[in-house]
Amino acid sequence: MVYELRNITKTFEQRTVLNLERLSVKKGKILGLLGPNGAGKTTLLEIMAFLSSPTSGGMWFNQQKVDFTGGKLKDLRRRVVLVQQDSILFSTSVSNNVDFPLRIRKAPKAKREQIVGELLDMVGMRDFGHAPAHKLSSGETQRVAIARALACFPEVILLDEPTANVDVENQIAIERIIREINRTKGISVVFTTHNMIQASRLADETVFLYEGKVARSIYENIFSGRIQTDESGRQLCVAQNGLRLHVQHDKSGPVRISIDPAIVEISRNGNEFSEDNTFKGRLIQLTDEQGRVRALVDVGVPLSVLIPKEVFRSLGLGIGDDVWLNCPAKSIEIF
Amino acid sequence: MDFLIDGLLSALLLIWSLDPGLIEIVWVSLKVSSTSTLIASLVGVPAGFLIAFGEFSGKRFVITLLNTLLALPTVAVGLLVYTFICRRGIFGGFDLLYTQKAIIIGQVILIIPIVATFTISAVSRLDDRYRKTALTVGANAIQTAWVIVREVRFGIAAAIIAAFGRVIAEVGISMMLGGNAKGFTRTMTTAMALEYDKGLFELSVALGIALLAVSFAVNVFFHYFQGRVRE
Repeated sequence: MVYELRNITKTFEQRTVLNLERLSVKKGKILGLLGPNGAGKTTLLEIMAFLSSPTSGGMWFNQQKVDFTGGKLKDLRRRVVLVQQDSILFSTSVSNNVDFPLRIRKAPKAKREQIVGELLDMVGMRDFGHAPAHKLSSGETQRVAIARALACFPEVILLDEPTANVDVENQIAIERIIREINRTKGISVVFTTHNMIQASRLADETVFLYEGKVARSIYENIFSGRIQTDESGRQLCVAQNGLRLHVQHDKSGPVRISIDPAIVEISRNGNEFSEDNTFKGRLIQLTDEQGRVRALVDVGVPLSVLIPKEVFRSLGLGIGDDVWLNCPAKSIEIF
Repeated sequence: MDFLIDGLLSALLLIWSLDPGLIEIVWVSLKVSSTSTLIASLVGVPAGFLIAFGEFSGKRFVITLLNTLLALPTVAVGLLVYTFICRRGIFGGFDLLYTQKAIIIGQVILIIPIVATFTISAVSRLDDRYRKTALTVGANAIQTAWVIVREVRFGIAAAIIAAFGRVIAEVGISMMLGGNAKGFTRTMTTAMALEYDKGLFELSVALGIALLAVSFAVNVFFHYFQGRVRE
């Protein structure tokens, strides 16, 4: 294990944003941390990058307990690097940014130039070497930030939502780079995302974080809403995005709900389902996912559905098709 | 109106002819002000950094105090320093009164709050991701501070220029601690006050133009440098 975290908590002004019983990262593997905004992903990465200390609990890095109070954090930081969400580049040229970690490690100039060139090649930014860093697009910035991180020759690279706010072309490029650095350089990778599909594409293992804790299952299709009683006296959850779902729960008032995509049923014909929690939508995305097909259906809001391959084949679904979804009570979790 | 035009023409003639008296006064002013700005920057910039990044009790009070000191009257500083360096003062034995060193001491006290406050403001506004990025790629505390200095260099330059502008234009400290001795502690502002008292406006106006020219030149240089870097 490259990381072992036990009973790690982080509290800001009496608010606990992280409360992890146990988490470990295997050497040379890619770990995906999935979770909605506010789940504690960034806080966790900052602790793992030795930039922030936990309020309580212990962390082991390569079997050595990390002393967050001691003066050895700089040495540990030189073995792990964090690429932040919306990375920032220093106000100088692209090459100088990539060169910075090498310069502070006092690498010889000729060697530095060679490494900077190779890394910029790797992220497809060689032609931008002399360009001012602040003139790059967000996708290009992220690629240069990854090159700069690689110039640290880290054992672990931590990426905080590496493809947030970047276009599809850069997203593909960044995912390719992540795979490449893991496979060719053997660097352990931990990345955060709230994109389930991306996590399943990239990660060897995925952990779902919710409200600072490792959730027992991966919550998907998460919506904020309010439980109220409808005219027939039944409990109705009205999500902020307009989705209306009948639920059976003790709670009332504001809640968050999750709809399990593996339990949601899909059909070409709405008559197959009861009226309750049945929605008509249009199929907007299909992804192959470990023996199943993930379909994204626009029912006013995008709902993700996991379909067994045989069901998918029998329905003969294609992008743009009209479909019906039914969310049975057991597919809805309220918290 | 003729009186103003005559004064202005005579002043321009003095500048054009590089009048030795005028040059000497401008030189003393630049020397004293540059030295005090340099010393205040060496103290004020690191102090600003320490205050901005440090977590200590009384931090808010220190910042409030520095902000209050921005409005410090020059005569108050002059009086304070005078009590220390006059013959009966603690440092009376050093014979500092009516020397350029005395002016520099007073001016340094006057502008350290300006440099420190502007630095705190510039550093506090900087996105914390710069600090975290420097740390995560392996920089030590000094290298991280250097990264931040580079990113806020225009803010710090603005602080130093503001401080220089304050000292080159001040009159209270130079008059009280320098004594306006010709060829020695006579600065542009004290000379202007003297010439005004004597009713001789030519030199006074010429010095006013020189003062504006210095200020203009410093600002032009700053904007040119800023523009070059941002290109």
